[in-house]
Amino acid sequence: MISELRSELLKQHSTRTNLGLLSAMLALVLLAVLLHGFGLRAENVDSTSEQLTLVVGWGERLGAVFGGLLGAMSITSEIRHGTIRPTFLVTPQRTRVLASKVLGSMLFGAAFGLIATALSVGVGSAALAARGIESQLDGGAYALFFVGGAAAAALWAVIGVGLGAVVGNQVPALIGICAWLLFVEGLLVGDLIGAAGDVGRFAPGAAAAAITGQDSDKLVAPAVGLILLVLYAAAAALAGSVATARRDVA
Amino acid sequence: MPIKREENEARIDDGARVPLVPAEARADDPVVTVSSLTKRYGELVAVDELTFSLRSGTVTGFLGPNGAGKTTTLRLLLGLAEPTAGEALVFGRRYHELDNPARRVGAVLESSDFHPGRSGRDHLRVLALAAEIQASRVEEVLDLVELDSDAHRRVKTFSLGMRQRLGLAAALLGDPELLILDEPATGLDPAGVHWLRRFLRRFAEQGRTVLVASHMLAEVAQTVDQVVIINRGRRVASGRLDELTGGGKTLEDTYLELTDGES
Repeated sequence: MISELRSELLKQHSTRTNLGLLSAMLALVLLAVLLHGFGLRAENVDSTSEQLTLVVGWGERLGAVFGGLLGAMSITSEIRHGTIRPTFLVTPQRTRVLASKVLGSMLFGAAFGLIATALSVGVGSAALAARGIESQLDGGAYALFFVGGAAAAALWAVIGVGLGAVVGNQVPALIGICAWLLFVEGLLVGDLIGAAGDVGRFAPGAAAAAITGQDSDKLVAPAVGLILLVLYAAAAALAGSVATARRDVA
Repeated sequence: MPIKREENEARIDDGARVPLVPAEARADDPVVTVSSLTKRYGELVAVDELTFSLRSGTVTGFLGPNGAGKTTTLRLLLGLAEPTAGEALVFGRRYHELDNPARRVGAVLESSDFHPGRSGRDHLRVLALAAEIQASRVEEVLDLVELDSDAHRRVKTFSLGMRQRLGLAAALLGDPELLILDEPATGLDPAGVHWLRRFLRRFAEQGRTVLVASHMLAEVAQTVDQVVIINRGRRVASGRLDELTGGGKTLEDTYLELTDGES
């Protein structure tokens, strides 16, 4: 298993894929945090929850999106380019291959999450400070945000691997992750009342946000969010493993 | 000598019937055993009750028209696909039951199984890590296929011939006893084909075994000891090359006769 993991880590850093994803993520975090840090009315960003959710929270959201993308890329690019064949010839135990992708993508995902949250906190605090708005975030809130952001992106990377293994085709897998996290979840945990709003809190994107302490009056507690997201990730990895084991390789 | 078209019923006694093995072969067990192998995709029968076996020290041409089931058979043999019925064994076992299979079997199925953005050397290092093969072996096989000076480049800059050689280098990483190649000469220039032919002969002379699926009959005729010809998933002939090409017949004549002129 160690040898497969080392192989997977080299796979992920011997192409420019992850570097490209990282650059795109950093650019989007910068854009989103600057827009909201400078663009929102002062009275809308003067509480702890508002600052965390509306300004710096973009680091967590985009970290989760790009963690999911890198996880999905790790398996779908092997299918797309055919390297899955030599990979399975060397390691015919496909579950081991998938497990190495889960672990490898978690490591890269955690790094993505840390970098994204660090950038969003840095830029967000600077933007608010430049406008003379006092930061309401203390050391504990920052710590939860960093650790939670790393966990959210790492677990979303696992979801990406599982989804990529089930879907197989790269483009739908990537679009699916973006559409879900950036659009569908926004609908679910928006201002819907009744059942849809209640259910939305338990969705995997909302669970990821909850881990970092965002929007605490709408979302579940951080620990509950973590447990939920671990369950989603485990289910995705299991589904991916079953799909990979059963399917013939073209 | 007339060629008798074989019955389609499974015959597992191939090794006994055809003296495919030189007497001094080091192993008694067939290196490859395909018995009653069948693969269906819905209505389509890609491989139909196919039976043959290979002994060590031989180069075998695996011939047939497009869609005859050659590549499917190789994928079944290598555990990439599951047979519908029958079995395909290497060294008496199913591929995934081999302990570190890269050290026993090397295979190239497609000439394009590379990430275009990864360097040739990193492609090999990735596989070497997974197979627990020393990094120095990567340089050895790069040397062997004469890619050492280009290995730092990304594969997207490689010609088809270079990709073929890189694929072969990957298959050779584990110093395998059995080499399985699908259309290995595609994209090679005449010097490359010559090199490949000599390489395969030397490989077999060391008591190792080669199975090469190909369309290039003239090329095959110069390289292999024996052939297995299939058509529509079924074996239509097998045997030593001299048995199939006697009486003024070329391999091409025999092949066209047996495959209804399809190609």
